[in-house]
Amino acid sequence: MILEISNLQKRYGNRTVVNISDLQINAGETVGIVGNNGAGKTTLFRMLLDLIRPDQGEILSKGEQVAHDGQWKDYTASYLDEGYLIDYLTSEEYFVFIGSLHKMSVAHVTDYLKQFQEFFNEEILGKGKYIRDFSKGNQNKVGIAAALMQAPELLVLDEPFANLDPTTQIRLKTLIKSLKQERNMTTLISSHDLNHVTDVCDRIILMEKGLIIKDLRTNENTLQELEAYFSG
Amino acid sequence: MLGTFLDHQWKAFWRSKNKGGTIATQIFIGIIVVYLLGVAFFLGFGMEAFITQFFPGKDVFTVFNGVILYYFAADFLMRMQLQELPTLSIVPYLHLKIPKQKIVNFLNTRALFSAFNVLPLFLFLPFCATAISDVYDSFTALMYVVSILSLTVFNNYAALYIKRRSIQNLKIVPLVFLLIIALGLLEYFKVFSISAISNRVFGFVTTYPLAGFGFTLFAVLTYQLNARYLRSNLYVEELSKNEAKKTSTDYPFLDRFGEIGTLVALELKLILRNKRSRSAVTMSLLFLFYGFLFYKKELLDQDKLELMLFASVFMTGNCISIYGQFMFGWQSSHFDGLMANKIDIRNFIKAKFLMFTLFSTFTTLIACLYGFLSWKILVIQFAAYLYNIGIGTVIVLYFATRNYRSMDLSKGSTFNFQGVGASQWVLGLPYFLAPYVILLPFSLSGAPYWGFIALGACGLTACLTREFWVSFIVNEFNKRKHKITEGFREKS
Repeated sequence: MILEISNLQKRYGNRTVVNISDLQINAGETVGIVGNNGAGKTTLFRMLLDLIRPDQGEILSKGEQVAHDGQWKDYTASYLDEGYLIDYLTSEEYFVFIGSLHKMSVAHVTDYLKQFQEFFNEEILGKGKYIRDFSKGNQNKVGIAAALMQAPELLVLDEPFANLDPTTQIRLKTLIKSLKQERNMTTLISSHDLNHVTDVCDRIILMEKGLIIKDLRTNENTLQELEAYFSG
Repeated sequence: MLGTFLDHQWKAFWRSKNKGGTIATQIFIGIIVVYLLGVAFFLGFGMEAFITQFFPGKDVFTVFNGVILYYFAADFLMRMQLQELPTLSIVPYLHLKIPKQKIVNFLNTRALFSAFNVLPLFLFLPFCATAISDVYDSFTALMYVVSILSLTVFNNYAALYIKRRSIQNLKIVPLVFLLIIALGLLEYFKVFSISAISNRVFGFVTTYPLAGFGFTLFAVLTYQLNARYLRSNLYVEELSKNEAKKTSTDYPFLDRFGEIGTLVALELKLILRNKRSRSAVTMSLLFLFYGFLFYKKELLDQDKLELMLFASVFMTGNCISIYGQFMFGWQSSHFDGLMANKIDIRNFIKAKFLMFTLFSTFTTLIACLYGFLSWKILVIQFAAYLYNIGIGTVIVLYFATRNYRSMDLSKGSTFNFQGVGASQWVLGLPYFLAPYVILLPFSLSGAPYWGFIALGACGLTACLTREFWVSFIVNEFNKRKHKITEGFREKS
C-alpha cells in the first residue's frame, strides 16, 4: 500500500470541500479521480502533496505522514498546474533544474529527454523561448515531462489531458500504461474526460462535494455507469 | 462607448485584488500624491518670490521662460522611464463588435490619465494666472496656458509613440538614448543652452501671443501620429513585447555550492529575466550614490559618524532590504512547484543567505570607493557590512516568513505597490534601528569607534553562528508554510 488516507477533512468557512473517511491506494494502481467542478479533486491532491494543511485526519505515504517529513518527495512527482512551472526559464533550463534536484547531470537529463521526442513533437526543445511564452498546451507538456523525468513511484497529475492536442493525449496514455508495466508506477489522475480515464485507469473514484461516492474497478461497463451518473 | 471603457477601467482599478494591499499602503500613496501636488502648487504660487530669491538680479520672466522647456525636457525623460503603455486592458474588447477607431480613441484618452499630465498644471498655471496676466495681459496669459497644456500633451504622446515603436524595433532604444546623451553633453559644454532657446521661444510668445498655437499644432500632430500607428497595428502580439531568441545560461562558479548554488542560480535568473525584479535591483544600485548626500566632510572631521551609519547600512545592504522585503513573493508564481518538488527547505533558506551575502559583498566592494573621501568611511561601512550579512539577513528573512502576498513580476518596480503588505512596513524598523541600538551606548559615552567595532563583532558573531539562524528561519518557515503557499496562490 502506497497511500493511506484516513478521516481527512478540509473546510473553507462552513463548507466542507474534502471529507474522506478512508481511502487506500495500492502500489502499481492507476487511479482516476472524476467529479464535477467543486468535487474536491484538486484540494485532495494539494493535501497529498502537503501544499494545503488538512483540518483533520492524516495522509500516510508509505506509512509516513506527508505533513511531517519530506521523505515522500524522493519518490513522488506531480504536476498540478502552471503554478509548478518556473516561467522565466527556458524549457531546457527547467528540466536541468528539476533533474539536478534528483542528482541528475545535464548529460543525463538531455539523454532522458530523448525518449520524449515523440511526446514533445518538436514543440518544446530548442525553441529559444521562456516557458511563459509557450502556449498552455505546451506548458502542460513541459510540466508533465518534468514530472515523469523524476522516475517517480507515485505520479500525481491534475487534469493532464486538458489543453493537450489529441496526438499528445494518446501518447500520454501509452506512456502511463507502459511505465506501470515497467516500473510498477502508481498514478493518480484527475480528469473531466471520462473516455480517457476509463481507458487508462484500472480503478476509478467518483467524488461529489468532497465525498467519495463511488470506487470502481474498471470494466467494460464502467464508462456507461459514469455517463449515467453525470447525465443524471 | 468611451464612457463605458473608462468605467471598466475605473472598476478594474478599484476592484483589483491587490490594488495597494493594506489601508496603510493606500494612505501612504495618498499622502505622497497630495504631498507632490502640494509642493507643485506651492512652487507654482510662490514662483515669483522663489525666482527673485534664488536668482537675485535676474529678470523673473527670463528665468521663468528659461525653465519651461527645461522642465519639459526632464519630464520627457521621466516619462520614458516611468509612464506605462496602456495596452493589455484592451484585449477583451478586440474581438467584439466595436470599431477599431473607438478602441484607439480609448487608448489615447486613457493615456492622458497620468500624474505627469497634472503636475505641470499645478506648477506653471498659477504663475501664468498671476504674474503674466498682471505684467502683460490676460490674453497673453491664456496663450501661455495653451502653450503649456499643448507641451504636456505633446510630451505625453511623443513618449508613448517612441515607446510603442521601440517595442517593435529594439534598435530605436539605443538610438534615442544616444541622441539624449548627445543633447545633454552639448548642453553641458555650453554649445547651446535649452534655457536660452526656451527663453527665445517664450519671448516670442509674449510678443505674438497667437504663436502659442504652434505648440498646439505639434500636440495634434503627435496625437494623430499615435492614432494612425495604433490603428494599423492593433494586434495583441504587436502591442506586447516581441523579443529576441532566448538562450539557456548557467553560472559555473555557483556549482561548488551544490543544491544551494543551483537555487541561487535560479534566483539570479529570476532577477535578470523579470521586469520588476530587474528594476528593483537596478534601483538599489542607484542608491549607492546616497553616500554623496550623507558623507559630509565636516561631520567626518568632527567624528560625528553616527549620522552616517544609516547611509552605510542602507548602501552595503540595499539589495537585501529592497529585494529582500518582498521575499518569497518573488517566487510566488511557482511556489507550489518549489514546495512539491524535492527541495530541502534548509537548502532553500541557505540559498537566500548565500545570495544576500554575495549581493552585499558586491555592493560593499563598490561602496569602498568612498574610502577616497576618508578612511573613517571604510570603518563604518565594514561594520555595516558585517551587520547586514550577519543580522540584517536574518531580520529580512524572518519577515519574509510572514509575507503572504503574491507578486506580479511583469511590471516595473517604481511606484508599484502590488504585493506590498504589512510585513514590508514593519520590516524597516528593526532593520534600521538595530544597528543604532548597538551603537548608542558607545557613542553616548564618546567612543563611537568602539561602537562600530561592537556592531561589527555582533554581525560577525551572527555570521559564525549562522547554522543556528538557518534552523531558526526554517522553523519559522515551516510553521507558516501552508499559509504562504495559500497566499501566493491568490493572484492579483
